Amino acid sequence: MKKVLSLVWTVSANAFAENVRNRFFTIFAVFAFAAIYASVLAGVMAVDQEARVLADFGLTLMELTALAYALFNASSVLLREAETKTIYLVFSRPVPRWAYLAGKLAGSLLTSALMLAVMGLMHLLLLKLRGFGVPPAYAWALFGSLLKLAVITSFAYFVSLFSTSAVSTLVISGIFWTAGHFAAETRFLAEQSAGAKSLALNAAIWLIPNLQLFNARDAAGFISPAAFLSAAAWTAGSYLGALWLVSRKEF
Amino acid sequence: MQRLALPVAALLAWGSGSALSVSGYRSVFPPPSEIRTPVAGAASDMLALALGTRRLFADVWFIRLLQYYGSGVFYAQEEEAPSFEWLESKADGGHHDHHDHRILNGGGKYPRFLAMSRHVLEIDPYFTVAALYGAGSLAFNMGRPEEAQELLHYALKYSPREWKYLNVLAAIGYSKANDPAAVAASIAPLLKDPDCPVMLKQQAAFLNKKIGNYAAAAAIYADIYTTSRDTAYVRNAERELQKLAKTLSAGARSGKPR
Amino acid sequence: MSQHAVSFSGVEKTYRRPRLLGAAYHTAVKDLSFEIPAGEVTGLLGLNGAGKTTIMKLICGLLFPDAGRVKVFGHAPSGSEAKAKVGFLPELPYFPPQVRPTQALEYYGRLSGLSGAALDAAVEAAMRKTGLEPHAGKRVSEFSKGMLQRLGLAQALLHSPDLLILDEPVSGLDPLAIHDIRQLLAAISAEGRTIFLSSHSISEVEKLCGRVFIMVRGRLERTVRKAEWEAAPGGLEAIFVEAVR
Repeated sequence: MKKVLSLVWTVSANAFAENVRNRFFTIFAVFAFAAIYASVLAGVMAVDQEARVLADFGLTLMELTALAYALFNASSVLLREAETKTIYLVFSRPVPRWAYLAGKLAGSLLTSALMLAVMGLMHLLLLKLRGFGVPPAYAWALFGSLLKLAVITSFAYFVSLFSTSAVSTLVISGIFWTAGHFAAETRFLAEQSAGAKSLALNAAIWLIPNLQLFNARDAAGFISPAAFLSAAAWTAGSYLGALWLVSRKEF
Repeated sequence: MQRLALPVAALLAWGSGSALSVSGYRSVFPPPSEIRTPVAGAASDMLALALGTRRLFADVWFIRLLQYYGSGVFYAQEEEAPSFEWLESKADGGHHDHHDHRILNGGGKYPRFLAMSRHVLEIDPYFTVAALYGAGSLAFNMGRPEEAQELLHYALKYSPREWKYLNVLAAIGYSKANDPAAVAASIAPLLKDPDCPVMLKQQAAFLNKKIGNYAAAAAIYADIYTTSRDTAYVRNAERELQKLAKTLSAGARSGKPR
Repeated sequence: MSQHAVSFSGVEKTYRRPRLLGAAYHTAVKDLSFEIPAGEVTGLLGLNGAGKTTIMKLICGLLFPDAGRVKVFGHAPSGSEAKAKVGFLPELPYFPPQVRPTQALEYYGRLSGLSGAALDAAVEAAMRKTGLEPHAGKRVSEFSKGMLQRLGLAQALLHSPDLLILDEPVSGLDPLAIHDIRQLLAAISAEGRTIFLSSHSISEVEKLCGRVFIMVRGRLERTVRKAEWEAAPGGLEAIFVEAVR
């Protein structure tokens, strides 16, 4: 068991190191910094609400930047390794496919966590320079973003294994992301509807993960205990689905 | 059977996540039926929901509200400042004359103010500052207390324990009864709260000055001067502090209590 | 341990390519049976599309046969026992351009179960054997094609496998690099390891191998021993041309 966990860690560390070396990581970091600075302008327009506006802009842009990178990475990494035959060098070795997939996913999440941490520090520094303290429930807001990223990244890995291209994976995952924020509205519509429409809406409630569960940023720092279990369950579900596909996949 | 183990496990895991979500999640936000979006804002509201960024877009709508209403209106000479008579004139049944300062503070303009204020709360019902700002502006600047009450009742629907809304409702009630001291007393507990908009502080300072409570007025103006980032309010506070300093020192020399 | 390093019995592999309406099927290998004795150097010749790479991937567990059975040292190729004994060099191996050769080898060494001092020693030995030591400080982006091929060979040798599967090991290399690779493979063979290599270069196969399989359109057309092609007028080339025509 220890040997296999060591393999998971090896793949994970390699995936993380490759993401950090990747030029796109730097581009996103620069983008995030520029975007956060742009939020200062919005903060000035809000006058006495500058602290709130700076906090909200920063947290939102951090989440969207980390999301963009995570989806771009997750939608292309397995495809790229297959195309460059890197995956031949991995699967010709005694590396269980579940360990490889777990390592790749863990590496992606480590990267997302690092991105959020670095951008968070930059954001807090900006707030301090503007004379503001740490916004309430800041750590929970970032953690909620990380839970969202865990769910959508594992889903993107799953989709990438049966979609025809990285772009289609990106699009499908992006649609899932936005749909995941409409859980409350979907439930409202389901309660108002009847027949096939109600059935379809209820199916959507079950099939699409409710990302609002992790939206501590909008819900004043509140993440229910059920949210952690849901995040774990959805991430595990996508991972097992991806494992099913990768275990049958030929290279 | 072994071939189906993984997909079944995946579905079970996903289903359990959904079951937890369905049973455990109750939205704390207004349903879509309550969001009265102007056509021009429909796209941004959709984006707010789609990206899970209600707070951010509520901020944007609040900035739009601030820009719509503009900055505070201040008067260099005390005689030009809106006195308490506009409240009395309302008690008289809305008698208008050319000194009706409701018009000076925009009483007859800004027809969309309530709708825009409410829209901020429809996106983020926990944006307390926006609710207080909107209600305070409607009640005490524009002389539209009924609209202010409507806004606060909507805000209370999602924050029923928010004492600040109840205090402002009480202040509005006292203003209708022409009791400026009670208005000032109702607003007083809000003044040190971080959610208190500077516009309400300005109103409280003005009321205290009008009823002769100069020390309290000076304390509020000093607070505005040191904490606000709105230069219009800061400059006005600086002016008022200078005037109050003269008044207070003149009072001290004459030995009269203030 | 099985006497045979690799055994194929009745193996068939068909590729399915989805089309707009339905799918297209292409049988890469059909009713394929052969054994590769342990300790020998065996070559695989064939035109493009003959099934050479398919055979190599079936041995490495990257593909699964649709019919028949493949065994590697008596084990299923997809199992860890078989994979622990196999070192694979694919055609045109890829490495991340920003890494140094030692970093890449350390990664693959860890995936092969090596760690600590054993990993360091294996990386050092692989670098030395493949002549990469002078280039240890360079990044992969600075490598020539020959150096990349050497690095590919180095990762295949890391865990001292009993069976080396080499897909076009001298493809695109200059004569000096080809000479060096040939010397290296001869040394590995002298250690008693099994080598199975495919190539378009008949002369290289002649120099290295003791036996050659000739594939034609997914079928094993001929098995030729060294003594046979040495005795034949025109050598292995003539035998090959006759087999594929």
